[in-house]
Amino acid sequence: MDEAALRGWLAQASGDAGLRITALTRLSGGAIQQNWALDVELGGAAQRWVLRTDAPAVLAVSHTRPQEFSLLSAAREAGVTVPAPLFLCADSSVIGRPFFVMARVEGVAAPHRVVKDATLGGGRAACVAALGRELARIHAIRPPRADLGFLGDPPADAALAAIAALRRRLDAAGTPRPVLEWGLRALERKAPPPLPPVLCHNDFRTGNIMLDAQGVAAVLDWEFAGWGDPHADLGWFCAKCWRFGQVAQEAGGIGPRDAFLAGYGLPVDAGRLPWWELLATIRWAVIAADQAARHLSGQERSLELALTGHMVPELEWDVLAMAEAL
Amino acid sequence: MLEKPDAQNLLATARAAVLEEILPALPPDKAILARMVAAAIGLALRETTAGQDWQDALQARLRRLVAAPESRLLERLAAEIREGRHDPGTPRHAEVAAWLRDHARLRATISAPRALG
Repeated sequence: MDEAALRGWLAQASGDAGLRITALTRLSGGAIQQNWALDVELGGAAQRWVLRTDAPAVLAVSHTRPQEFSLLSAAREAGVTVPAPLFLCADSSVIGRPFFVMARVEGVAAPHRVVKDATLGGGRAACVAALGRELARIHAIRPPRADLGFLGDPPADAALAAIAALRRRLDAAGTPRPVLEWGLRALERKAPPPLPPVLCHNDFRTGNIMLDAQGVAAVLDWEFAGWGDPHADLGWFCAKCWRFGQVAQEAGGIGPRDAFLAGYGLPVDAGRLPWWELLATIRWAVIAADQAARHLSGQERSLELALTGHMVPELEWDVLAMAEAL
Repeated sequence: MLEKPDAQNLLATARAAVLEEILPALPPDKAILARMVAAAIGLALRETTAGQDWQDALQARLRRLVAAPESRLLERLAAEIREGRHDPGTPRHAEVAAWLRDHARLRATISAPRALG
């Protein structure tokens, strides 16, 4: 990281020629994106920021940093609790890759702590109600939006598009998975009719939400956001596979589903939730299998990726029960 | 005759060493990795214990379900399911459903036995 070039660019972007970088440390996590803790003195006052950029030599598999900046800006404008997006640098010549800077938020996102530590989130039912409100604000963002033009046109039928996308991914992976096919076929037979599209976060789950003692500190990880059926996010958040062992707490392993949906407040078609929860379970199984494939290919030798692949049989066991009950 | 202790005994002993002796001595940021090592050993141990018989039995039933070369049976079944050829009301629906349940259950017995309750 060329710190002098970064300082020069930040000084210009912030309008403070005297801006000083006091600390720049790589944060852990993020195989695709890199996050850096960036402390500066701006106008004589200490500021705590995060610089987010792509990891070197990573193929584009999700939104670019400029696109993510636009999503964060749209979310913030809609009242979603996100880190304030501050500066975007689309110019690769400054640090070698595009980057953006956002406010640094303090809190806990680690899923096993979030589901077990009742001091987080301002009370369990209150926390999931607040998360429901966050999701409703995200879903209030509707197409067309010139600033989000990179998301493309909304799918004519989000449910069928989701099935097709998972089938393409299974085909690309090349390992036949008849149980997941069974689940996808059940979904296809019972696909709900399309609804007017909204902005879906597409990874709104425990682990991607930062909590503090008071409540929700930030909704993170916007790289998969796109137009779709709002029930996709509700189903992803409530799916059993994202409860991190606290199965009885149906809203993300944190609290009751009723409180989450009450907080959400927008009309919910309860009949669609089992459909999207099954889709969520299959989607996670496909992702888990892909993660193990990365390990098996030798591309990234990792015990964590290897063990993630062993989640697939359990997910498949759930898929069969859910397909039966659909 | 191979020398004893055998793989099962070694894996079980190694897993106990990781959990009982190594894990308590580790700083918290390395504890997760040690737990993953123990989980991987446990998984390998269950795979060793399970043997090959159940896989052979499942494969024999699969052969009766679909017609394809041996190495492409699973692929054929997956394709037929996608095509709707084993939907409810089709002749093999119940048989395929039962096979899939056993296929998932037996793999989960090794990968995630607690999930089966």
